[in-house]
Parts: sequence; C-alpha cells; structure tokens
Amino acid sequence: MEWNSETLQNLSQCFFHTLSPAPEPRRAAEKSLAEAADNPNYGLVVLRLVAEQTVDDQIRHAAAVNFKNHLRYRWAPSSDSNSGSTLVPILDPEKEQIKALIVTLMLSSTPRIQSQLSEALAVIGKHDFPKSWPTLLPELVANLRAASQSNDYVSINGILGTANSIFKKFRYQYKTNDLLLDLKYCLDNFCVPLLEIFLQTAALIDYTVSIGGSAATLKPLFESQRLCCRIFYSLNFQELPEFFEDHMKEWMGEFKKYLTTSYPALESSSDGLGVVDELKAAVCENISLYMEKNEEEFQGYLNDFAFAVWTLLGNVSQFSSRDRLAVTAIKFLTTVSTSVHHTLFSGEGVIPQICQSIVIPNVRLRDEDEELFEMNFVEFIRRDMEGSDIDTRRRIACELLKGIATNYKQKVTEIVSVQIQNLLRSFAANPVGNWKDKDCAIYLVVSLATKKAGGTSVSTDLVDVQSFFTSVIVPELQSQDVNAFPMLKAGALKFFTMFRTQIPKPLAFQLFPDLVRFLGAESNVVHSYAASCIEKLLLVKDEGGRARYESADITPYLPVLMTNLFNAMKFPESEENQYLMKCIMRILGVAEISTEVAGPCISGLTTILNEVCKNPKNPIFNHYLFESVAVLVRRACQRDPSLISPFETSILPSLQMILQNDVTEFLPYAFQLLAQLVELNRPPIAPNYMEIFKILLIPESWKRSSNVPALVRLLQAFLQKVPHEISQEGRLAQVLGIFNMLVASPTSDDQGFYVLNTVIDNLEYGVIAPYVAHIWNALFVRLQNNRTVKFVKNFVIFMSLFLVKHNSTTLVDSMNAVQPAIFRTIVEQFWIPNLKLITGAIEFKLTAVASTRLICESPVLLDASAVEVWGKMLDSIVTLISRPEEDRVDEEPEMPDIAENVGYTATFINLYNAGKKEEDPLKDIKDPKEFLVASLARISATSPGRFPQIINENLESANREALLKLCSSYNCAII
Amino acid sequence: MADDGLAHHRRDPIKSSVGNVAAQRRRQNAVTVGKERRESLVRAKRLCRVGTSGDSEVSIDNDMMIDEEQSILETQASSAVEELKSAVVYQGKGAMQKRVSALRELRRILSRSEFPPIEASLKAGAISFLVQCLSFGSPDEQLLEAAWCLTNIAAGKQEETKALLPALPLLIAHLGEKSSLPVAEQCAWALGNVAGEGDELRNIMLSQGALPPLARMMMPNKGSTVRTAAWALSNLIKGPDPKAATELIRVDGVVEAILRHLKKADEELATEVAWVVVYLSALSNIATSILVKSDVLQLLVERLATSNSLQLLIPVLRSLGNLVAGDSNTSCAILVPGHEITDRVIEVLVKCLKSEHRVLKKEAAWVLSNIAAGSVEHKQLIYSSKALALLLRLLSTAPFDIRKEVAYVLGNLCVAPTQGDAKPNLIQEHLVSLIGRGCLPGFIDLVRSADPEAARLGLQFMELVLRGMPNGEGPKLVELEDGIDAMERFQFHENEDLRNMANGLVDKYFGEDYGLDVSTE
Repeated sequence: MEWNSETLQNLSQCFFHTLSPAPEPRRAAEKSLAEAADNPNYGLVVLRLVAEQTVDDQIRHAAAVNFKNHLRYRWAPSSDSNSGSTLVPILDPEKEQIKALIVTLMLSSTPRIQSQLSEALAVIGKHDFPKSWPTLLPELVANLRAASQSNDYVSINGILGTANSIFKKFRYQYKTNDLLLDLKYCLDNFCVPLLEIFLQTAALIDYTVSIGGSAATLKPLFESQRLCCRIFYSLNFQELPEFFEDHMKEWMGEFKKYLTTSYPALESSSDGLGVVDELKAAVCENISLYMEKNEEEFQGYLNDFAFAVWTLLGNVSQFSSRDRLAVTAIKFLTTVSTSVHHTLFSGEGVIPQICQSIVIPNVRLRDEDEELFEMNFVEFIRRDMEGSDIDTRRRIACELLKGIATNYKQKVTEIVSVQIQNLLRSFAANPVGNWKDKDCAIYLVVSLATKKAGGTSVSTDLVDVQSFFTSVIVPELQSQDVNAFPMLKAGALKFFTMFRTQIPKPLAFQLFPDLVRFLGAESNVVHSYAASCIEKLLLVKDEGGRARYESADITPYLPVLMTNLFNAMKFPESEENQYLMKCIMRILGVAEISTEVAGPCISGLTTILNEVCKNPKNPIFNHYLFESVAVLVRRACQRDPSLISPFETSILPSLQMILQNDVTEFLPYAFQLLAQLVELNRPPIAPNYMEIFKILLIPESWKRSSNVPALVRLLQAFLQKVPHEISQEGRLAQVLGIFNMLVASPTSDDQGFYVLNTVIDNLEYGVIAPYVAHIWNALFVRLQNNRTVKFVKNFVIFMSLFLVKHNSTTLVDSMNAVQPAIFRTIVEQFWIPNLKLITGAIEFKLTAVASTRLICESPVLLDASAVEVWGKMLDSIVTLISRPEEDRVDEEPEMPDIAENVGYTATFINLYNAGKKEEDPLKDIKDPKEFLVASLARISATSPGRFPQIINENLESANREALLKLCSSYNCAII
Repeated sequence: MADDGLAHHRRDPIKSSVGNVAAQRRRQNAVTVGKERRESLVRAKRLCRVGTSGDSEVSIDNDMMIDEEQSILETQASSAVEELKSAVVYQGKGAMQKRVSALRELRRILSRSEFPPIEASLKAGAISFLVQCLSFGSPDEQLLEAAWCLTNIAAGKQEETKALLPALPLLIAHLGEKSSLPVAEQCAWALGNVAGEGDELRNIMLSQGALPPLARMMMPNKGSTVRTAAWALSNLIKGPDPKAATELIRVDGVVEAILRHLKKADEELATEVAWVVVYLSALSNIATSILVKSDVLQLLVERLATSNSLQLLIPVLRSLGNLVAGDSNTSCAILVPGHEITDRVIEVLVKCLKSEHRVLKKEAAWVLSNIAAGSVEHKQLIYSSKALALLLRLLSTAPFDIRKEVAYVLGNLCVAPTQGDAKPNLIQEHLVSLIGRGCLPGFIDLVRSADPEAARLGLQFMELVLRGMPNGEGPKLVELEDGIDAMERFQFHENEDLRNMANGLVDKYFGEDYGLDVSTE
C-alpha cells in the first residue's frame, strides 16, 4: 500500500463513514477497510494518517483505534496450524518502521489519540519488548530526561503511562528466568530515571504548594507521581530489586508524606480530591505489596504507615466519594492483620475500635448505594449478590474483619455478634428511622459467612441461622406491603437465597407464596431477588442428590407464578431482566406443564422473542429466553404431542423472521430450535420446513463459523427425518458440497464429518453410491495436505461407520476404486496406529467392532500376504479395548473453540434443552470385547493353527496376555 | 530461551494445568534482581582498607582512619593523582621511590573512608597512570600499591568499576606464579571487584583468561591469598552463563582443593569456598554431576551440623540445596533412604528450620521441597521425621516467603511421582493426615496472595484435596475454609493459567447443576 494523497483521501473517507449512524455506509466502509488491511504496509499508512495534522480529529481518532486493533490481531497472529487463522501478519520491515515512528508520534499527539497509540504501543511491547525492541526503553528514557529538563508534564506523563503499560506484565506472569531477564533489563535502565523523576516531581509539588500554586499546576504533578507509583508496583512485584532496597528510604519518605499531608488547593474540589486520592491509593497498593512480600525489609516503616493509614481511614470513612482510597487503605490493614505482625491488632480495644470506626461506617448503606439500588439495579445486583463487589468498601471492610479473625477469631466473633445485636436493637427502637441498622446487620451476617457451593450459599457462626431467619428475616418477607423499605426486603431475600439450604423445607415452603408475591414489587432489585430466590430453591439438593423441591410442590402456584413472572417483565427496566427469565426457564424445566399453562407461556415467550429480535441487547437474557422456549417445546410436546402443531404456529414465524432479517446473534439459536422442531415432526414434513432446508444449502450460511455447529445439527435432523426428500432434486449433491467445504479446513472438519456421518447413517447405499468416489477423494486430499490427529481419528471413525452400515467389501472396493490398493496403505498407516487414540463410548464401540469385522471378514486382511497387517490390527484392537482411556491417549492440545475465531461477534452457544442424544449405530452389539473374541473364535475354527501363530508373532506380550484373559473370561478359544 | 510469547494465548486443557503439582525439583532462578543475601563480609565488592600482607606500615595508617570530609578527600585525591602523574613522567634519580610514595599517598586517600573519592581520582585521570605502574618488571611494592588503588576504585559504582577495563590484562597477568603472593592477592582482589560488577565485565575477564590463574591460587591449604582467590572466583563464575562454572570444575585439582577446604579450612575460608560451590552447583550441570560423585555432600552436612556461623551456613545450605535440586538421578542415588547420610541431611535441615534466621529457614524448606519431590520413600522419610511438625507450624506462622517454600514441601509429600504430564497420583495417607493436622488454611491463604506462583501452588493443593480426600470430603473441607471465595477471586485474573485453573476447579467441584431435569426423564 502506497502512501499518497489518493490513499489518504480514500482512507479518510472510509474512517469517516465508519462513524456513520446509518448502517449501509458504515458496513461498506468497514468491509473495505477489512479488505485493505490485508495489504502490506496498511498499518503504516494508517499510522501516517493518524499523524496527518490536516485531517479532521475525529477521523484521526477512528484511524488510531483501527490501527490499535489492526496491531492487536496482526502483529503476531496465532501461527497454530490447527486454529486455521487466516489473518495476514504484518511483515518485519513494516514492523520496524512502525516501531521507529510510534513513540515520537504518541508523545506529540492529542490526549485522545495518545491513549490509543499508547495502547497500540503496549500491544507491540507485549510481543517484542524487550528482546525485539531494544531501542524502546532507551528512547523512552531519553525522552523522559529531556521532558523533565523542561518540566513538560504532558510528555512526562505520556512516557510514564507507556512505561507503566509495558511493565504491567511483571505483575501477573510466573517468575521464570526469561521473565527475570526482562525485568533485570528494565530495572537496569529504568530504576534510576524513575527515582529521579519521582523525587524531582516531589520537590516540585512541595515547592508549588509552598508558593500557593494552583490546582491546575498540581494536577499533572500528582498524576505523574501516581504513574511512578504504579511503575514501582510493577517493578517490585516479582521480588524486591536491589535498587529499590537501597533506596527504600527515599521512596517510603515520599509515600508517607502523601498519605499524611493534605493538599487544600486540590482537595477543595471533588475533582482535585479524586486526583490526590488516586495517588494515595497507589501508595497504599505499594505498601501492601511490601507488607505482603518484603515484610522484613519494610518492618522499620510499618508502624508509621499503619498509623498513617488508620488515621487516613478515620477521615475517609466519613465521605462517600472516596471509595477507591478507602478500599486500598483497608486492604493494607487486612494484609497487616494476616501477616506475622498481626500483633499490632492484639492491643486492648484495638479490634472494637476498628469495628466501630472503620468496619461499621463502611458497611453502612450510603446515599450512593441507595441511588444505585434505584437507578442501576443490574450493577447493584452484580455487586451485592454476584461477588463483583470485591472492590467495594462494604465488602472490603468485611474482608478486614475476616483477616483479623485469622488470628483473633473468637474476639472478632464476640464483638461482631454484639454489634449485630446492637444494630437490631436500634432498629427495634425505631424501625422507620433506623432501618439502615437492620440492613447493616443482615449485610454483616451474609458477608462474614463462609461461602459454600455455587458461591451463593453460606454458613456462619455469628448467629444461629434458623432463629435469625425466623426473628429477623421472616417478618420482612411476610410484610404485606411489597413496596415498603425495598432495600430491607432485598436484604431479606438475599439472606433467604444465601442460606437456602439451611432453611427447612416446611418453613421455606410456607414462605413460597410470599416469594411469588414479591415478584410484583415495583423495585427491580426486589422482584429480581424474588425470582432468583425461587430459581435457586429449585436447585437445592438434599443428601443423595435428590432435589428438595419437586414439580408437585410448585404445581399449585404455577399459574400465578408464571403470570407474575411475565408481568414483572412489564416493569420499567425489567423488560429484559435475566433473573426473571432464568426463573422461567428453571420452572419450565421442573414443573408439570399442563396444556393450560403451556399455551400462555409459549405466546408470552414468542411475544418477547419478537421484541428482542428487533435489537438484541442482553445476551444472557436472550440465552435464557431461547432455553425457555426449547425446554417448553421439548417437555410439553413430549407430554402432549398434539401441542406440536400449535407450537409450530407460534414459533416458526419468529424463527423465519430471524432468518430473513439475518439477526446474526440469534441464528445459532434459531437453527437449533428448528432442528428440535424437525425432530419432533412426523413425515411428511410441512412445506415451510423444506423452505428452511434451502437455506441450509446456501454456502453463505456456512461461512459464519458461529452458525456451523447449529447448522450441522439441523442438517442431521433433516437427514434423519426425511431422507427421501433429501435425496431428490440434486439436494444430496449440495449437501455433500457442504461436507467438502467443511472438511477442507482444520477448524471445521469436525462439522464436516458430522454431515458425512449423518449422510452415511441415514441414506441407502444406492442413493449415495454415485458420490462415494468424490467423498473419498476429498478425504484423501486432506489426508495428504493437512493431516491432524483429530482429522485422522475422525477418518477412522467414518470408515468404521461406513463398514458397519454398508459392509467391509463395499468399503474396501469403493476406496480402491479411487486409487488401486489404497485401502491397505490406509489401514497400515492410519487405521492401525490411530485406533488406540479413539475416545468416547460410542466411537470406541463403533471402531472396535468395525475393526474386528475387518479382520474377520475382509479378504484383503485375511489374505496370506497380509498376515502382518492382520496381526498389527489385532494388536491395536486389543490395546483399544483392554487399556483404560487415560493410558492409551496422550493429552493432545485440543483445538480452540469455534467461538474463539476472530472476526465474528456472534458465537455459537449450545442450547442445553434443544440438545439431542447421540445415537448408537450398533445397538444390537452389547459388548465389543465379547464381539472380538467370539469373532476370532469363529474364524479360527475355519483354519485351526493359523491364527495363534500370527498372534504370537505380532502382538505385544501385554496384549497377548490381555487377549488370553479375554478369551478365558468369555469362554472362547482361538485355535 | 526461545521467545514463545504466543503460547500464552493458547488455552491449555484445564486438566493438565492443574495436574502438575509441585512434584518436580525446583532450581533457584539463575537470574536474580534482588539484593544478594551475603552478609557484609562477603558482599560482591569489597573495599580494601587494611593491607593484605599485614606489614607494619599499615598499622600506622590505622589510627588515621577517620572519615574525613568528602570535599577534603576529593581535593586530596586530585592532587595525589597529579603527584602520581609527575612521578610517572619523571625519569631521574629516585624515580622509583618517587612513584611508590605517590602511589602510596593515593592509596591512603582511597582507603581512608567508607566512601573513597573515586570519582575525583578518575576525573584526574588516575587509571592510565596506575596501568603504567603495573607494567612488567616493576618492583613489587609499586605493583602492590597500584593494584590496591585499583581495588578500591573498582569497589565503586558501575561506571567507576568499568573504568578498570584497560587495567584488566595486566592485573590478570600478575596473578601468575611468578608474582609475589601479596601482589597476586591484591590483583585478585581488584579483579574480584570487577567481576562483582556484572556479567558484561565477567565475560571480558573470562575471555582474557582470568579464571585458570585464580583457580590455581585457590589450591594451597591456607592463607589469605586462597581466601581472596576463592572470593574472586565466586564472583567470576556467577553467570548467568554456565560456561565459567563448567570451565572451573574442569581445572585440574580444583575439586580436590574444594573438598580439602570444606573439610579442614577455618570458617572464613570455608565460607568463600562454599560460595564457589554455590555457583558451581547452581549453574553447571557438569559441575553438579562431578560434585555429587565426590564427598562434598558429607562435608557440607558436617559443616551444617557443627557450625553456628550464619555466614558459613548460608552458602553451605544453598550448595546442598543446589546439589539436591540438580540431577535427580544422581542425588537420589546418594540420598538413599536408610543410609546414614540421608538421615544426617534431614537432621541438619531440621536444625536450620529451627534456626532464628529466616534465610536458613527458607533455604532449608527449599532443600526439603526438592527431597520431597523424589521417590515415595523420600516422601515417607520426611513425613515421619521431626521436620513435619516444624513445617506445619511454619505454614501457619512464618512470613510469606517461608510459607511458600514450606507449602512446596507439604504439597510434594502428598503426590507420588508420575511419568510425563499425567495427573499426579495421590498419597492419600499423607494428604489425609496433613489435612487432619490443619494445613488446608495455610494453602488457601496462599491462593489469596498476590504472588502468582504461591497462588498456583495453593490451587494445585486444593485440587488434590478436592479430588483426593476420601468419601468426597474434599469439597466440604475447601468450602469450610472459605476456599471457594479464594478461588473466585481469579474469575477475571490476568494470568490465564491461574484463571483457568481456579475457574475449572470451581466449575468441576462446585458448579451449578445446569441440567437439573436430566435425571427426571
């Protein structure tokens, strides 16, 4: 790709259109950019466009984003042959040019573009730094020194930001010699300039403060110090480097200053306070790291820091906007509490003090929590219920208590129990005014409990669960007004959900109508929690794995339950509430679905389906929606086949709409549901299904990898249900064309074999005979050009299926017809060595039986010239059937999920409830071992003396013994 | 060191990544960024403030060793170099005497303070005159003073040490047998400082042939020369390239000298020699295999049993650990359970575990972890020794780095050796008993730590517990110790391996039963 005004013009135009709200020009622009990206020097040209001052800033920004993504996928695309990656990698000369340009360019661009280029640089750094990019760090250091001479904090912070992102790998990778070499290189080059700039900035801050400098001057300085702290964190993460140990005093001195000094010029605005707090938080992370890993060297500073953090928390805990700082500061104390220096907490009154002034204030509900509860219920639930609250101050305050409890469990339990009682008393004195105290008490009990299976159920020794439930929780659940004190209701529902296994069935059951009632609460959190509670209750298992609540338990409530669930989705914001939908799915999976219930359900679900098709937003909700439809169809139609036809009438239009409008996200689901419907059908099949079949035959449908598994499944359904109609009008040729396409690539050959196996399994040989030569040809070509273990295994399975369906002679003759004597070569080179790698019960049985039949029936193998092949094949069969799978099969790296392929946003997700059971093609043979020895006994009887000799000469001794054992246990003899 | 950065993107099958519990020997990383834990006596660069030969002139100097003000020293240094310059140029009568006294003056100035005026000396151009003073045929006194000056210059910062580059060939040349002992020793000291700087200078010295003469200097039975040579050698073979270590072990007589010193020498010399053994055994497989076949193990054990000097115990213990961590076949052949030496090894390790010093505790645990990676018999040996109770206590009370090492030992005790990458087989008896003695919380604590290796070890142990406790008790135990919460922290962790491991365990043992209705139909 050449850099000239025309390219500039074209690319600018394209990037401009990618920002268009109208889909057509946007898609066209995206498409032509995707094509252009395959050209050499595309990245370089885009980078130059980014640098072009004359181009509109928006376009340059779009180009910078594109550049970053281009690098992400093509700087070092996976070279794995199995992944079938087709992306053209960036060539080395282009890479060198990009690397030479990017630092300067990044430093001279506007902040928005700078951040994109910085990320792009980090992408390169991830692969090339430091070994293949030796100039980067010296270049950064030189720029840093130059910028610090002139106090140019825009550049300084740009450089530090970049350094921060390339050093981040030291924070999570395993310690290996390679990593340490890289680290050493970074330390050798960066420690000194880092400390220099840190101290220079520190002095500058002190000076600026002393002359009453403005917030605007101070802000970039604080940002700079924060970045230095983050780099400090990365460079110190693996172990304490010598340089940092030698200069600990300088670092710690400044750290302490930042924790203990206030900066009124900044702190007077919330924005400025945020900047100061971020620096303090970064400092807390660093001292936590030292506390955890280098506590010996850090010991001398510990008391000062513990005091500083403690004092800081006393202030911070009062303010709600300072969460991040509070969290990191509490984390530091938590680390101290679990360290060898935990005795800091053992003093008289320290733990009660912590509980009083740090834990309780941080656990108590704040205005922000209430706001979140009302304004963004999804986020509230994520934090409150699903464990993504790891960084909220409520949770972290409880972590501190848990930390202290590792060494002072009894004390903590006593103090917290007392606190809980106090809070409850305060609530009892004035329930309306002090409802937050009760919430606080419930939160403490739930958060300090130990997590149990599933992450949603707990146990505790703070309170007696049952009596706490009865006296504190039940009154809330039985409260008549579902809309009063919604946060308390939510807390009570959460408690019920978390401790569900410990609430005896009669008590829980008695509350079931209340749960159903709370589905009608206006608060999104409350009706979500009610749904979630019901859903989780249905999963509770008693000892022995038996479900505690069964269909009979919910049948009486079913109509009102379903009505309330569907109604709840009419509340604002809950139109696509995943908790409600999941509950529907669970109930449909458990309950006895009468025809009266099924009707409204299917119409309710299809209404929702039609609605979400217009704009699929919440993938989780959508998944449960499709699962719900699938489970309803499956269970209701099994119970009452007369429902099939009305269901079809309801669902098919929706599915057709998905196909027609090409709703990409839903195609895999639609194909799976169609497959399910086809399977339920009795031939002759309705004409609109055959219309759908045509879609299957369009190669375009198969090009989206996310569709492929679902399409295969649908094709199987058609082949099994209506084989005759398939074999007409040249449809079979089209089906095999699809097989051809799929089998050619390692990413989809699995699917190709599914198609092929289904064809072989369901059609008469006469129908497929004209195509058999083509099939073998396609397979031989793959075998020759790109053979993977997975492919060969599938190939052996296919040959086996062919043999058991259409006998060994047809198999051998049809293969040899393509190329004379090829069958024997294939047996020797592929069948025998790979047989022992076969896994899966059905596949195991199939290949064992087919191989047995081959050596006992096929003239090719029984021929005198094939004695050795015969023996080796038997040896392989015995290995297969006598050794456990883990001894035969080496763990081979499996190919990545289809879903991982880049370039498509939609992914295939299996619908559990639309799944089908694998069919065993050999139902009449029970035991492949018995089949083997019986067959061998039979054939040896025809020419006594021949086979024992072959066996002796060709079987491994272990296999000979195994075979003998088998013979005796099945009472057969090879004579 | 093939760069296989791409491999990180591949997702390994979860099974095998959880599988390999510690049950492999772990060598210490050859690369280190942390401060070397050698106490002041043996630090990498040493200032020479008192002469090596102990002549009378030096003792007079002693009284004057007060730390003078830096600026005064700097001025003095500059003028001393000026003085030396004119002495070197001067060819007249008494030239030699003049040179020696100029050198002596500069050397005094460079020896007076903990912070000698190196920068000022270098600025004044000291190196080229000092190199001239090292020329062949110069009198011993002159050589000695010049080498002494260079020694202290080399003890400075990186660039200061590098300034010695032009002096290296002559310093090495004076190591030879023809030199007097004091001269050779002073040159060795200077070279030791240079070698202590880093691998770049080490490689230059090695290519200039510094190793063989230093090795020969180490062979006599006693004397400060032997000690200095051993120290310089330990700096020279530090790697990370193993070549120098291999070269050293192949020098005739070196193995015998090492054994002799370890057996008979005073603690100071034994300490330096032990550091040589540390680097030999850490870096070179060839050296390790030669050493293991000698009596070195017995001698190390003997020293561990009898000495109380921390400075000696550290390198001795580290050497022992390296030998055990090295070639597993050889060391298994020697550390045979039932043999006396094996019991003695365990005994001295127990002594170190009990020690006050955390370095000893940590290293002893590391050595034990490598022994515990051996055969089932080795595991039983540790399991039934006095070490076990100590280890269990350390796991719950020691600082982080020691806990991590201890966890490796205990983890190794619970898995039987396996071939290849297969999932390790459990030694259920050990697992059950260790769990019964309360070790699970310690491992779960490791899972919560920020350290990726510690977290991996914790997860691997948890996998053993989940899979291996009888009657399916594992999940309940893990649950009870709040292990689920610990694992869930990895849900979105940046380390893919840890993330897969943790998520895999949670899914497998605590996963929600998605297809509830399967059983009902």
